[in-house]
Amino acid sequence: MSRPIPLHELGDKEYIDPANQACQGCGGAIVSRLVSKALGEGFVRAEVACCGPAFMNIRAPSIYVEVFEGAGALMTGISRGLKRIGREDVVVMGIIGDGGTVDIGFQGLSAAAERNENILWVCYDNEAYMNTGGQKSGATTLYAATTTTPIGEYSRGKLERRKNVPLLMAMQGAPYVATASVAFPEDLLGKLIHAKGIKGFRYIHVSSPCPTGWGYDPKDTIKVARGMVQSGLWPLYEVSDGILRLNYKPRELKPVREVLKMQGRFRHLNDEEIDRIQREVDTFWRRLVAKDGGEIF
Amino acid sequence: MIEVRFHGRGGQGAVTAVRILASALYLEGKYTQAIPMYGTERRGAPVVAFLRIGESRINERDLVHNPDIVVVLDPLLSRTVPVTEGLKEGGLIVMNFPKPGTEAGIGGRFMLATVDATGIALEALGRPITNTAMLGAFAKASGLVSLESLEKTLLEHWPGRLGEMNLRALRTAYERVTPPVDVSGIQAQEKRPREEIFSKDVSSWRIFKPQLDEDRCVGCRRCYIYCPEVAISMIQGKARVDYSSCKGCGICGEECPTGAISMVQEAL
Repeated sequence: MSRPIPLHELGDKEYIDPANQACQGCGGAIVSRLVSKALGEGFVRAEVACCGPAFMNIRAPSIYVEVFEGAGALMTGISRGLKRIGREDVVVMGIIGDGGTVDIGFQGLSAAAERNENILWVCYDNEAYMNTGGQKSGATTLYAATTTTPIGEYSRGKLERRKNVPLLMAMQGAPYVATASVAFPEDLLGKLIHAKGIKGFRYIHVSSPCPTGWGYDPKDTIKVARGMVQSGLWPLYEVSDGILRLNYKPRELKPVREVLKMQGRFRHLNDEEIDRIQREVDTFWRRLVAKDGGEIF
Repeated sequence: MIEVRFHGRGGQGAVTAVRILASALYLEGKYTQAIPMYGTERRGAPVVAFLRIGESRINERDLVHNPDIVVVLDPLLSRTVPVTEGLKEGGLIVMNFPKPGTEAGIGGRFMLATVDATGIALEALGRPITNTAMLGAFAKASGLVSLESLEKTLLEHWPGRLGEMNLRALRTAYERVTPPVDVSGIQAQEKRPREEIFSKDVSSWRIFKPQLDEDRCVGCRRCYIYCPEVAISMIQGKARVDYSSCKGCGICGEECPTGAISMVQEAL
């Protein structure tokens, strides 16, 4: 299990170039910075189509392919190639968006997990295809407004619940699966450092709010991310060899209303819809708490 | 046919502005086209949008290369983006700038009208979204569209309170915009190279900048770890901001537990 890294233990060295072309207050930019800081040296990075080219100026050998669905295959190839030349010490890491993980890239992800490839898959989840203007993805929360699920006379936003890919990966038997959030850097860094030391398929799903697509002021990125964790919309947990552990377990969750109302994409919600989201969050949380410290299946 | 080019930053509403303007002119019986530029429309990054106004049907579908009028939604944009590029001789520039047009660093055989749209937007909307204020300035300076049809389109676009707030920005800017001045005698400020594409300097993106009160900084590293740009470093236990990498998102100010970082408006 991972151990949170206190901020004063962090080195000052940066592995990313200052200033990037991401939006102001980009959550994904924080993810790429923290990931590179945690892994330090000795990793190669795979990248597929996403906002990444705008902000991931990470100083590491990087391979970019435009093939949106190809992240799993790409990382598999790099990892097998490194094995062939006897460099299994090099970590193969990909920072992949939620579209390239949850929808388009899912077959590659699932197959790579099945084969237990020696890769570290970091999904930075802004809950839609933000690079192309914010179309809904499988990771979009229920009732969220996106450009393909707009609010109008006959539409109330996304009608489906989000796919729970971290648990899917855990059920496929991946050695290490974790969720994390940009608002909890100590926890995120700890999980990355722990994952670095494991062989096999590792999956970390990071909630990274997007001010442009979610419709909030850029200064509130961390506030929104923190609110999602504190309200149970984004629980922090890890599954190591089939044992689940909650990393953030408050005595009582905050109501979801507050964090939903901070975001423009949920501004249209009425009380009934908020209640439904609240009920689903409560159910999922209850099940997670029941599994805490035990086997997930 | 009159062609207009809007320069702005992602999030200031250049695309919405051309749409509203096109609809308003349509109400007045004109033929119009509103064209957004497809590209990286990230918040804070430079963007352009185009507008065509004709008395008869417009068959062109191209982007605008030689505009008659240029509207600049951001006061710092003209330092890095060549806003007058392709502008016809004697053309009009309507610019968001809090000082007289002769001090904007733009020279050439153009007319320049200025208005402090950022100030007006902060007053009317509480956020530096300058598009509606600039539409008011455009209406007055160009005389191409009436205030009434703009007001009508605006309220259709944003019914309710948001529309009322934007209406106030529109009207205030209509009143406050300066008459166009001739800038042919002015030496144009030298542009820095097109660095914004793969830049190391994003300082012109911001409207507010973080200011650190060193006495209140306790060196907790929250701002340092949450900064998306690596603009904050820790020097001898205190935070230090590198202003060339800071886009002014304000996360550091929001997350500082002791209130040592405050966001102040960028002076011109």
